[in-house]
Amino acid sequence: MNTKRDGVPSQDTSSFALPVVSDRPAPAADAVGEALEHAAANASATETGYGRTYWRSLEEKLGTPEYLEETRPEFPVGADLAPSGFVRREFMQLLGASLALAGATACSTRPQDERLLPYTKTPPEVAPGNPLHYASGMTLAGHTSGLLITAREGRPIKIEGNPQHPVNQGAAGVWEQAYLLSLYDPNRARVMRQGKSPRALRVLAEDVANLVNKAAPADGGARLRFLTEPGNSPMMGDLRNRILKKLPNARFYSYTAMTQDAETEATRALFGNQPVSARYDFAQADVVLSLDADFLESRPANLTYARQFADRRDPKNGALNRLYAAEARFSITGGMADHRLRVKSAEVLAVAAAVAQAIGGPAASVASAAAGKAQLRGTSEEVQKANAWIQAVVADLRAAKPGRTLVIAGERQPAAVHVLAQAINSALGNTGTTVHYVQAPVAEPFGLAQVRALVEDIKAGRVDTLVITAWNPLYALPSDAGLAELLNPATNPDRAKLSVLYTGLYEDETSQYVDWFVPAAHPLETWSDGRAVDGTVSIAQPLIQPLFNGMPESELLALFLTESYRPAYQMLREYWQGQATGQADFESRWETWVSEGIIAGTASPAASGAPDFGAATALVSGYNPPAAPAANELELNFVHDYKVFDGRFGNSAWLQELPDLITKMVWDNAALISPQTAKDLRLEPGAMAELSYGGQKLSVPVWTTPGLADGTVTVALGYGRNGLHEVVAKGVGFNANVLRRAAAPWFDGGATLTKASGSYKFSLTQTHWRMENRPIALDMSVSELAHPSKETEHILERVQGELKPGLQDNLPSFDYGNGYKWGMAIDLSRCTGCSACVVACQAENNIPVVGKEQVARSREMQWLRIDRYFEGAESDPKMVMQPVMCVHCEKAPCEYVCPVNATVHSDEGLNDMVYNRCVGTRYCSNNCPYKVRRFNYLHYTSGKTSTEKMLMNPDVTVRNRGVMEKCTYCVQRIERTRISARVEKRLIQEKELMTACQQTCPTQAITFGSLNDKQQRVTQLHEDERAYKLLHELGTRPRTAHLIRVRNPNPALEPAKSEAATEGSH
Amino acid sequence: MSRLSAAALLAVPAIGIGGLMAYVRSPYVTNQQMPVEQPIEFDHRHHAGDEQIDCRYCHWTVEKSPSAGIPSTTVCMSCHAQVWNKSPYLVEVRKAFFSDQPIPWIRVHNLPDFVYFNHAIHVNKGVGCATCHGRIDQMGAVEQHAPLTMSWCLDCHRNPEPNLRPAEFITSMTWAPPADKAEAAALGQKLKEEYDVHSRTSCSTCHR
Repeated sequence: MNTKRDGVPSQDTSSFALPVVSDRPAPAADAVGEALEHAAANASATETGYGRTYWRSLEEKLGTPEYLEETRPEFPVGADLAPSGFVRREFMQLLGASLALAGATACSTRPQDERLLPYTKTPPEVAPGNPLHYASGMTLAGHTSGLLITAREGRPIKIEGNPQHPVNQGAAGVWEQAYLLSLYDPNRARVMRQGKSPRALRVLAEDVANLVNKAAPADGGARLRFLTEPGNSPMMGDLRNRILKKLPNARFYSYTAMTQDAETEATRALFGNQPVSARYDFAQADVVLSLDADFLESRPANLTYARQFADRRDPKNGALNRLYAAEARFSITGGMADHRLRVKSAEVLAVAAAVAQAIGGPAASVASAAAGKAQLRGTSEEVQKANAWIQAVVADLRAAKPGRTLVIAGERQPAAVHVLAQAINSALGNTGTTVHYVQAPVAEPFGLAQVRALVEDIKAGRVDTLVITAWNPLYALPSDAGLAELLNPATNPDRAKLSVLYTGLYEDETSQYVDWFVPAAHPLETWSDGRAVDGTVSIAQPLIQPLFNGMPESELLALFLTESYRPAYQMLREYWQGQATGQADFESRWETWVSEGIIAGTASPAASGAPDFGAATALVSGYNPPAAPAANELELNFVHDYKVFDGRFGNSAWLQELPDLITKMVWDNAALISPQTAKDLRLEPGAMAELSYGGQKLSVPVWTTPGLADGTVTVALGYGRNGLHEVVAKGVGFNANVLRRAAAPWFDGGATLTKASGSYKFSLTQTHWRMENRPIALDMSVSELAHPSKETEHILERVQGELKPGLQDNLPSFDYGNGYKWGMAIDLSRCTGCSACVVACQAENNIPVVGKEQVARSREMQWLRIDRYFEGAESDPKMVMQPVMCVHCEKAPCEYVCPVNATVHSDEGLNDMVYNRCVGTRYCSNNCPYKVRRFNYLHYTSGKTSTEKMLMNPDVTVRNRGVMEKCTYCVQRIERTRISARVEKRLIQEKELMTACQQTCPTQAITFGSLNDKQQRVTQLHEDERAYKLLHELGTRPRTAHLIRVRNPNPALEPAKSEAATEGSH
Repeated sequence: MSRLSAAALLAVPAIGIGGLMAYVRSPYVTNQQMPVEQPIEFDHRHHAGDEQIDCRYCHWTVEKSPSAGIPSTTVCMSCHAQVWNKSPYLVEVRKAFFSDQPIPWIRVHNLPDFVYFNHAIHVNKGVGCATCHGRIDQMGAVEQHAPLTMSWCLDCHRNPEPNLRPAEFITSMTWAPPADKAEAAALGQKLKEEYDVHSRTSCSTCHR
């Protein structure tokens, strides 16, 4: 065990209030006993979690000895250790050497000459030192989201959402933020190769031309196949059509990991085989039922939904909506739900059918077709509870005004559930109000069926040449898709007859079996376009020349036209010029499109016709549900990871180190099971187990997550990457695709999990500090807020009450006069915990990544953390998310302990951190009650390659080893905005200054501004009745206010709690 | 004797430390008074002095960007395509221009990396070029005029009035405040109000 070696204080620690780590050999049982005593001493009888039990992990909730031992001291083990890799003695030797050398360097006082390299011709828009912003886009899984990218002297350094884009509205999720990191990734492929020999583009072009010239007259390209990502790009669609004109018998197949197979199948059935997609309007929905739909996750396509939903969670905007969620996993949407039903994924169909049956109308006939396909299982008590839940949902849906409800089915659910959801919507009159059917932005079918067709083609010997531009299909496809076997010469004797060309950013699992590998240009290095889910076209412009000689996908496919070379820009422009024939002044329109990033008025038109549930009923009755798991079997659920998606973001260190939204796990995935299931299977968190399903076995580490449906195991896809050069992703977690089968790509019964020998060490950030039963993250129902019970009043008094001057006022007051008084407000009602802010902060403030081992020692560096609290029973808890960063205390405990004045109060109330003064005593961190200070134990930013250095924000110091750092309220943004405002002799406008976290937040949960201005939103939120200050009773007077999360429970389902409270008070 | 040696014992470290403190503030360490030889013999005496070219003709971002900017080679060539276009002094400039390679100028004013200085705000609030950079028009090779130490920055930030000048003289190399002290103070006060000068001394003003 790592214990403190140096500077151990007096061995007798009994007189100290806080336990002190010592290396005195003490019996383990004693240590636990001491910890229990400590916990008992600190938990006052009257304040057992202020009437509720909030907890962050099962160990904490249950008070297991391991947990208490691990968090026994105030700081976790290792937090007080000297940096590893250096022995003090060695350090002194080195120090001596450097002192000796200091004399030598002092002889030349002039530091090494720094060179200033001006432009030959300064681009007219560039003023060196000032940032420029360019609109662009990011295409992911058939959706192009609008971005606004900040560039400094030609280097893109920060991605934000495009405020003019109808889906983004300025917001961006974690993937868009981390998109930049992949641009500069030194692991990206650089060499075009045929087999193992490097080749020039000319050779490839000749090869392709020969092929096309031979194939076109012979068979019209009948032996040529393409496997691409879904074609949501109009320009690429045009290119495809032109290729098909030349090679009419060639075939294009589309596949992406997050397939909308089921939704497409359902809408096609409803609309007579037309490509239609449903768009939802959460702004109008008073009651929402999510059938395993995680519509609040920060995937680019969901940003509008998250914003609309959050706007309905603010009591100031009128009555709250009510969200019901039925799901097997614990998603962030489930965390936001007012009522959540834990059911197996296969039973969601039963829930949908029961609701549809009860709603009646067109839904009833569809429901009867679904009858018997699935049913709720479990003990009679559980089934009864579920039925009561369904009845309450039905009553609520019926009670709401017609057209003001919404039922939404998740992508993982089969088409039958989608049909049922739409049937319920139709029966409730939601079509046209909360549900809009529009022409799908991706008209072609895409998904596993496409891959199946391709595999059959190859197997039948109908293919000579295969061109793959889809991301890494050999990794991302289910294990029995068959493509990997066909491309691997070891398993396919006819492999030599097939020629495969693959283009990608990295040499990955697919590239090892291909004949031609073409390094792709990053989308930020080339021109492209694409439709968003609502159909709006974005023009994505490049921010930089290709760094690693990548080739744009459009230029690669254009080789098949055997025309003279045209750059992607020319192709794109000519395509849109062709679209705008007959309209005057294309040039100025084009300029507008490029500068705004969107082509206005391109949103998809409404679908023609009304949904035909008669036809869709056939689809439901034809649905063949997976077999229910037997008594000792589990339901295996595959989900996309919140961080690395299907694995394509696996090489992004920012995302790997982002704590998982629910488990708070970094650099890993795990087989997640519920506490009850863990108990039944006798599995401890961190134990190794063997997961077997469909004849395949996989050794997986287990983690328990409260709130999962019992009898299910959930595994995230996207890990266990084994790409050749993807150094970051390599070996992180396990590859769940090994178990996945095309017939049941998302869930299936029949899995078993058996204990294996060994254990696994996870790095989680949630157990790093202990909350000691203090009211930290608060939530309550609207009615409770309006009419607080005695108990609630007591809590509110504690977190909002007047502080007693003198007693809690040991520091002088500052006078901020009429200047700015920066403050922040974080609305827990709006926060879904999507973590976009965490990555935005990391990008903006040059925050390093430290790796799994360092995180295990509590050395994570993210300035902004999102604490996830569970509340209630461990089997079925509620969730509260709470973003915490430096709260910039008015009376800051860190300031008066710093021996070198490295952290000081600014004249506007910022708690300034002066890196060049900091000597690394870490007193400030020890004295910070919020634990938001981060210390550079090692030189985390050393060893950056030259491309990685280009990513750094030049307005923020890159911190060195031995320096403390923390949230600055984005002081570099404040100063830059201040200077431009002061030059114009005016005050900073509220809208022009946003912190990075605030700017990116999809739900606008974070507000920043000057508290001296009564008109600003932040001031109003500070005065809101829900506003409270974290650890208010300490008298630190934070500048950041948190707003109590409000819930809107259905009285029919909520146990009468206030009665119990009243009872207790008597 | 013992008193003397005791005094010496105390004095030696005191003088030593004092000497070191004086040393680090000396021009020798702050790099003042050291003309820097540049790859091209560019003479500000000629351009800024004889020809009276405004500083902003070449350093054109000084009013709107943190950086005053080093002129692009095109700026040099905008004149020297016409005048002295065959001069052997300008061979390197022409070479750089036609080969599209930057001229590797050597930085004269080099602040530490954790200091964020902004030209725009200073120039807009009435701090003239010569106030910090000295008489550039008299420098054959540019040298650092001011010590650029933090105390030097703070001296002005705490009391900016003496260093303010009317905007029309912002690039003037010869402007001097009125000789009469009261008059100079009044002008400083007036400009401070007129330009709405609020020089700040919080750490994050420069360090972030």
